[in-house]
Parts: sequence; structure tokens; C-alpha cells
Amino acid sequence: MTAVQLKGVRKDFGGFTAISNIDLDIRSGELVALLGPSGCGKTTTLRMIAGLEVPSDGQILFDGKDVSEVAVQKRNVGMVFQRYALFPHMTVEKNVAFGLKVRGTDKAEIEQRLEDILDVVQLQQFRHRFPAQLSGGQMQRVAIARTLITNPSVLMMDEPLANLDTKLRGEMRRFIRDLQQRLGITTIFVTHDQIEAMELADRVAVIFDGKLAQYDAPDALYKRPGSIDIADFMGATNVFEAMIRGKTATAPFGSLAFATDATDGPAHVMLRGEAIDLHLAEPPETQNQIRGRVSAREFFGANITYTVACGDAQIQVIEQSRRMVDLDQEVWLTIPPDRIWIIQN
Amino acid sequence: MSKTKELARHKRDRTWMWIQLLPVMLVLTVLFGGALVLGVAQSLGFAPWFGVNTFPDFSYFGALWGDSFFWRSLGLTLYYAIAATLISLVMGVLLALALVRSFPSKSLYKYLYKLPLMIPYTVGIALAVIMLGNGGMLSRLMAFAGFIDDPSQFPQILKTHMGWGIIAVYVWKQTPFVALTIYAVLLGVGRETEEAAAILGANKRQVFFQVTLPQILPGIISSTLIIFAFNIGAFEAPFILGGGFPDTLPVVAWRYFNDADYTLQLQGMATVVSIALVAGVILYSYLAFYRRYERRIGRH
Repeated sequence: MTAVQLKGVRKDFGGFTAISNIDLDIRSGELVALLGPSGCGKTTTLRMIAGLEVPSDGQILFDGKDVSEVAVQKRNVGMVFQRYALFPHMTVEKNVAFGLKVRGTDKAEIEQRLEDILDVVQLQQFRHRFPAQLSGGQMQRVAIARTLITNPSVLMMDEPLANLDTKLRGEMRRFIRDLQQRLGITTIFVTHDQIEAMELADRVAVIFDGKLAQYDAPDALYKRPGSIDIADFMGATNVFEAMIRGKTATAPFGSLAFATDATDGPAHVMLRGEAIDLHLAEPPETQNQIRGRVSAREFFGANITYTVACGDAQIQVIEQSRRMVDLDQEVWLTIPPDRIWIIQN
Repeated sequence: MSKTKELARHKRDRTWMWIQLLPVMLVLTVLFGGALVLGVAQSLGFAPWFGVNTFPDFSYFGALWGDSFFWRSLGLTLYYAIAATLISLVMGVLLALALVRSFPSKSLYKYLYKLPLMIPYTVGIALAVIMLGNGGMLSRLMAFAGFIDDPSQFPQILKTHMGWGIIAVYVWKQTPFVALTIYAVLLGVGRETEEAAAILGANKRQVFFQVTLPQILPGIISSTLIIFAFNIGAFEAPFILGGGFPDTLPVVAWRYFNDADYTLQLQGMATVVSIALVAGVILYSYLAFYRRYERRIGRH
């Protein structure tokens, strides 16, 4: 159980600045995602916490103690690499026991902990296999076991779900979540996929261009992004320019009442597609009513996305597939004021 | 109908495969295989073109192996080959390890270290004579700097049975070769397993011996096989830089071939076949040993 803190961390590679300035507080036992597009510096941040890179400036603290200069071998962290980095010339057993062997743990204890951890990751029957003889999910479990057997104070994972197929993803997600909660180990993982970040993390740190853009719980990040870039990265589709006056936003397709706090002036209004109701007849409530015509329809199985043309604006509405609305049908959209988010500056 | 068509296509494919293989097969069977058969036959007394045909006759091998100079020659040959191979291996691996890390002016180094690969052995030998000989550059510099009174006092490096000159030329030429091979293997292996090992608490020595070395071993085996096979059969370096009698086996063979008594060519051929036998046995055992290691760790 270790709290991790980054204070004004900066990293330059030659003339290139990968991280310009990051402050981050990770509570003990928390599961935090570092989210951002490729090249944003999230992997560099992870490598600095692990000790594989030394920050050019700033401090990394574990439980308040500065570890910036502590060598990687002595930092007692765990890392699961994106491509697992298993030792190809060792069996599962030897891979898993490696960390204890190099630390000179005595044989009986290695044997005991090896049995325990192989049970936890359910790899007993594969213990004599080589990495090349395992599936992606099994390799990842070996990588996790190899790390956890050393009782690291912080566990780090680089794109933990990226190399797995859809079915295995769900399985691994539950596995990692359960394990993390059972052991209560502070866990930091890197991803470029906002879904992966939201499905796993307690809190998500969004990193753009080497800077921390927003650090929040997944639902807050999804519903209340701090900037258009973040909204865009979190998959928001309905973002429109608007003029704010009091509690009313005037957008190209009409005026919307909203509940959140905002200052008067130009801004952007964000409507989450799943918060919009789609009516086939004019609804009785007149507040936040937008009239339009269905211009496109995409069927995703459980959901349908309708694109509704409201004047010049195209609003996307996500609905469960309980019905199919025809193209070109005249529709009325309504959205509750408390589901509207205003992005300013 | 379709079956006959299928059969015809199959036949065409096979014919085409044989045509593609033909040039290589010709070179291998006629030039290499033929020469090998003839060489062995000649060493056993089959040389009708000299008016000698006592096949099968083991007296040439008997004469050669019965003489103590042969064994001293073999010892020298193996000493130069093994010493140069080991030194090149260690230096080449160190160089390759350095090259995968980033350091200033790395691109210049990556170009420089390959230079000896492009320069012929004979030029290397000439350089060794100019640099390392008594009266060479090094001895003159030492004398100039006042370490010795006269260039002639410079320790004898060339033309001794210690073979410093021969080993130096081999190492100069083969270190880059080993480095090039291992560097390519290291690039394929990547840094991640080393980093994973370091995070798990392994120190530098443990990382190298337990993680890096086993992964680059195939590259080490193949590059040392190639340079050792070359070293054991190389002629010009020991001929020019060696210490004279007893010479290395390739030089002995050359002296037999060049003797006014052309029937000694059979003795020369027996020498060549002996070199091939020794090299074959050593390389085969080396490979067998490596295979056993691979099996032991369960890779096969």
C-alpha cells in the first residue's frame, strides 16, 4: 500500500520535451489510468515512476519519500509490459520465480510463493510451458504473476487490454479489477483507449502533449470534460458553439436551458447522445425541445445511433434498439437541463 | 479431367523447383563434393596424373601424424584460432551491447566499427607489419617518447610462436563481424526483457547472464562457428606474421604443395584433410554441446 505523488515532473530527451510539467496524486490502493493519444508522454510518465527513466526535473514520491534517484532494482515496483516481455528461454515457472531468485530468497519460500501465485492466476497446468506455447491471455497472467510474486508496492501496466480479443478483454478486465481490489495494491496503467480507462480505473489522468489535462473519476470525465479536446478524446459527438446568458445557451438549433454553473459569453455546449430523448410526435414539454429530421441511422446491435438534422446542426442520438425510426422522419428531441454540459474557454 | 490437370500442375511445380535448385546443386556437388572426394582420394594415394596410385594407402597420414612437428603445428593452429575467436567474441559482444544503448555520436561509431569488415585481410596484415613490427610505427613512437632507447628494443610481437600479430589481425577483422551479428540479434530481442528483469530486482550481472546472454546465444554460436572455421584454415596471416617452423597446418600444407618434389602434394593433401577433420570434429562437438544445452532448458 503506497501512495504515489508526482511533483512538477519534467522529462527531456535531448532537445525534445516529452513531459513538460506533471503533478499527480495517486492515493494508496487506487487504480489510476494514464490516458492520452500516442506520443503524449503517458508511457514516459509510467517509466519514470518505475525508475526506467530519471526525471529531468521534479520529484517522484512514494509515501512522501523522494524516490526519483532510487535505482530501478531497489524501487520495488512491478511492471507488466504491453507485449509482456516474458523471458522466452524460461518456463512459466522460472519466469514467475525469477524476481525472487535474483533477490536471493531461499528456495523453500520461493517454492511456497510460486504455488500460491500460480493458483491466483490459474496457471498451475501451464507451469512447464514456454511463453511461445501460451495464448495472449495466459502470457499476460504470467506477466502479472511474475510481478506480483515480488510483492511490489506499486503495480504498473502498459496497455493491459490492448493485445487481447474482445471476449478475453472482458475476462482480463474482471480479473485485474478483482485482483487489484483483493490485494489493495496501488495500480497505475497506461492506455490510449478511453473505454479501457473508464472500464478499469478509479480515476483517470488525461495527458495531452506532456501536460496533465484533467484528472477525475471516469463518469465525471465522461459527463464533464474540461475542454473540447478532452470531450473529443472521450468520444463526445454533440459539441456546438453557443452563447451563454444566465442559465440559457443559445446554439445554432435553438436555446437550451442548463443546470450547471457557467459565466456569460461564448462557449461550447455538449449534449451526450444517450441523454437525448427522441419523440415521433411533438412532446408536451416545451423546454429544451429541438425539432429535426432523421438523416442517418447506424445499427450496432444493442444500440442505434440516429443522426438528426436540426437546421444546419447534426445531432447524434443514441437509443437502445427497441424500435427503428425511419429515415427522413420528422422528430422532436428533448434533453433535461441537468444533462447539458458547458465547456468554457 | 480436373484430377489430371491438378497432377500436371503438380508435376510442373516440381520441375520448376528442380530447375531453381540446379545451380546451387551443381556448385555443391561438383565443385565442393567433387573436390572433397578427390582430395580424400588423393590423400589416400590416388594420383595417377603424377604416376602415383597406391590407393588405399594410409602411409601419408601415418607419416604426417607420426611426426611430432604435426602435433606442434596442430597445437599452434588451434591456439591462434581459439584465442582469436574468444577475444573477438568477448570484444564483439561488448561492442554490440554498447551499440544498442544510446550515446553521443553513436551514428559515427556505428559506421567506424564496420570499417575493418571492408578492408581485406592482406591489408590488415600489412598494417600489422607497419604498426607492430620492430622498426614499425609503435616501436618508433615508444622510442620517441623515451620508453625505450632504440626501436629495436621494442618487444617482439610479430613472427613469434606466441602469434600476437596473427591474433591481432584476426581480432581486428572479426570483432566487427561478431558485433554486427550480435547487434542484429540484440535489436530483435529488444530492451524490454532486460528492463523487466531490472524491475524485478536483477542487477546488471544477473540481467546479462540470465536474460540477455541466453537470448543472444544463437547469434554467438553462429558467429563463432564462422570465424573459428575461418581461423583454423587461414593461411596468409600465419604465413606472413607467424614465427616460422613449426608453422600452422595451412602453411605446412602450402609448403608441401609448393615443393619441387610434386609427389609431396599427396602429403599436402593429407594435411588439408587433417585440418578438415579437426575442424569438423570441433565444430560438430560445439554444435552438439549447444543442442544439448537447448534441450536441457527445454527449447526443443
